[in-house]
Amino acid sequence: MMHVLQLLMDGLIDGGAYALIGLGLSLTFGQLRRLNLAYGATAMLASYLGAALYATQRAPAWLVAVTVIVSATLIGWYVEWMCFARSGQESEQGFGPAIGAPIAGADGREVVALASSFAIWMQLEQLAVNLLPQHLNAFPSLAAQQDWVIDSSLGELMVRPDRLLLAILAAVMVLGLAVWLERSRTGLSWRACADRRLAAHLVGMPVARLQTAAFAAGCALSGFAAFAVLSLDGQVTPMFGMWVLLKGLVAAMLGGLGSVRGVLWGGLFLGVVEAFAQASVGAQGREFATYALLFFVLVVPWKPRQALGLSAGLRG
Amino acid sequence: MNEMVGAHLIGLSSDMAIMSLLALSAYLLLLVGKVSFGQQAFFGLGAYASGVMSAMFHAPLLFALVFGMGVGALCSWLVALPTMPLSGLNYAVATLAFGEMARVALSLWYWQIDLGDGLVGPAAIDGFRDIRWLHENDVSPGQFFALTMFVLFCILILMLRSEHTRLGVALRMTGQDETLAATQGINVSRLRLFSATVAGALAALGGGLYAHRTTYVEPAIFDPMLGVHAVGYALLGGVGTALGPLVGVLFDLGLLDATHWFSGWRMVIFGGLVALFLRWRPRGFLDERLVHRFGSMFNAKRYP
Amino acid sequence: MLEISDLATSYGKIEALRGVTLSARSGTVTCLLGPNGAGKSTLMLTLAGILKPLRGSIKFEGEELVGCEPAKIVERGMALVPENRLVFPGLTVRENLLAGAYRRRDMAGIRSDVDAMFVRFPRLKERVEQLAGTLSGGEQQMLAVARALMSRPRLLLMDEPSVGLAPLVVAEIFSIIEQLHREGVSLFVVEQNAHMALKVAQHFYLMEQGRVSFSGSPGEMADDTVIQRAYLGQQRAEPGLPTSP
Repeated sequence: MMHVLQLLMDGLIDGGAYALIGLGLSLTFGQLRRLNLAYGATAMLASYLGAALYATQRAPAWLVAVTVIVSATLIGWYVEWMCFARSGQESEQGFGPAIGAPIAGADGREVVALASSFAIWMQLEQLAVNLLPQHLNAFPSLAAQQDWVIDSSLGELMVRPDRLLLAILAAVMVLGLAVWLERSRTGLSWRACADRRLAAHLVGMPVARLQTAAFAAGCALSGFAAFAVLSLDGQVTPMFGMWVLLKGLVAAMLGGLGSVRGVLWGGLFLGVVEAFAQASVGAQGREFATYALLFFVLVVPWKPRQALGLSAGLRG
Repeated sequence: MNEMVGAHLIGLSSDMAIMSLLALSAYLLLLVGKVSFGQQAFFGLGAYASGVMSAMFHAPLLFALVFGMGVGALCSWLVALPTMPLSGLNYAVATLAFGEMARVALSLWYWQIDLGDGLVGPAAIDGFRDIRWLHENDVSPGQFFALTMFVLFCILILMLRSEHTRLGVALRMTGQDETLAATQGINVSRLRLFSATVAGALAALGGGLYAHRTTYVEPAIFDPMLGVHAVGYALLGGVGTALGPLVGVLFDLGLLDATHWFSGWRMVIFGGLVALFLRWRPRGFLDERLVHRFGSMFNAKRYP
Repeated sequence: MLEISDLATSYGKIEALRGVTLSARSGTVTCLLGPNGAGKSTLMLTLAGILKPLRGSIKFEGEELVGCEPAKIVERGMALVPENRLVFPGLTVRENLLAGAYRRRDMAGIRSDVDAMFVRFPRLKERVEQLAGTLSGGEQQMLAVARALMSRPRLLLMDEPSVGLAPLVVAEIFSIIEQLHREGVSLFVVEQNAHMALKVAQHFYLMEQGRVSFSGSPGEMADDTVIQRAYLGQQRAEPGLPTSP
């Protein structure tokens, strides 16, 4: 029994981190209806810049954090410019099919932006590895020294306080963002732009500026999440980019891309599934469970929201 | 010295031919309007399947390759059944997920048999060593090179010829506008399944050749980056003709990688070009317009 | 109040507006009729700033608005109720109204305007927290009008407000137009339903193939041949053809 509780606890705690990682991805998808495959690489390059600063200047943790967040935002601006500048819109001045797109049709533009983003992913990942060619790179560590032990009549429960704090922080940020999206004027405008871009123009919203702001916020969040996660590991490796993308993608898709609260549920669910998978089938089994979960969520048709025919834009 | 350069060129060309098969696999799906990030899975499955046949059961190379193709085709078909109806984005992510599932599955697969000389077979995460059919049968790198080129050549001829058949035109139409294609009586879903199946076979063929060339494969090779590169080759080289993906491969492996002028910047350049092309020349270098112009220059066959 | 002169807009190579000149007087209901494809919606989208014209001028209360961003157009006091309603389907009725007031800063004024909208459109009040995408066509039209009114426009542009709606709802829409007119809001309405429009508008324009081809009062418009052209475009005089739609 205690064993199950421990797994559950570990899973939820890891899941919190996944939710934080996936938050930015879900936000940018919700806003632009475009999946940013360069998301992981953006976080990685930003983290590498932070790590480089740490390695060369022994910069304090807060400075590294600021560097990572700001870098992620700037790199995100580049990604948006290269891949998504004309995204999130039905072509206002040019009706008819996008002539010449590699993938034509309704989801043509969506897939083109996707393809561009993977091209930029390649770029960013190589730039990061050029910057710091070693496999292991030190990162300022904020890890706790000791685990907490919760004693009860059923047995002992081990909790890593730093990871717990991260999970709580993730939940707070997700819920905070969700509430902000639902209650504030700017949040309303972000949701309106995502919902129907043309109508947003008509009510006087500066759509391009708002969408860029949302995208930048998503990237800043990815930088924050990257810093938080890496500071608990104390190091960053070239695998980080792919890890961020895949974990973030699964967490976001499980909860419904574009749904802010959804990414929290998705992340927690993913964490728990992984914990139990690892306990049953080992580390590889855990990995397999992650991707199998994503695959089945996509392949089995079970989204009641779709039945309402409502656009799956940005929601809290 | 010349011998070394020669050997190097032969090796490089074999590699490019193998990658071209993977790129063609991605191209076949782009043709019907789908971006797949999972072709590396069939490449890996083909590598393992052919390796098992030739290293563990001493099957002749051609049989092993064909067996691998069969495995690739079957798996691709099975995956395509539930994923083809998905929207472009969901399809891309689903294939990515499947690609990773396959990679992890291969890293869990342990099956070794004792053939007297020691254990042979997939060793889970440590990979599959000693796929030595070529060495055991005294096939020189030059002969292998000839084989890969011949295989590639046949496939290209097949694909280029079929451009002008009803099948080829129908495939292209499905990718351009599936609703319009359907009104022309084209069974879009069946055509897409067909395309996916053939794509799986092609990728697996490439994988089989790769396994025998390097004699050692491990699951870590078949990661999403490999599949992403395959799509990139097709997008950059052009989706107007089966020669397009080859141009992409030539550019990356031939120019960017082999000449070491761009070391450390290869993916930056390649990725940047793909992104730029998608913006200004979305159907790649050898797009339909250029192909048509070449075609009419040489008075080639017109479209029916 | 609104003066458009020699406005031309294209979609790529297709010239939708070929030099439109018309004007709308303050405090009036001006109606634009014309067959499908004449360019009426293109004109509205150009006025709203969504489409950029190739040449021409749009003077609103003396100020030149050509080339301005849609946001500025709303700020200057022109709001468009677009063809096909275009409500925010994923936002509630109330949120749609709040979105309409995006450019305003006076929170108290916005709140009281929202209440006023519910008085004017009681059916919206019943559905205040419902997602706009689940509303019926008529309700969405009401919402679209209410949303546009939230920005307190001095000139309300309406693109085919009655299309696709049941006759009872159409009558409601036109009575709202009359109501707004009485309250002093100027309106510029594109319509297909010429008969209904004749009852509310003070001035008419007929648009064909990207140009204004007729301008006049309701009396002049009521001429059968003109109405024919409004529905069907130019007809060659041939015996045996039906003379009224």
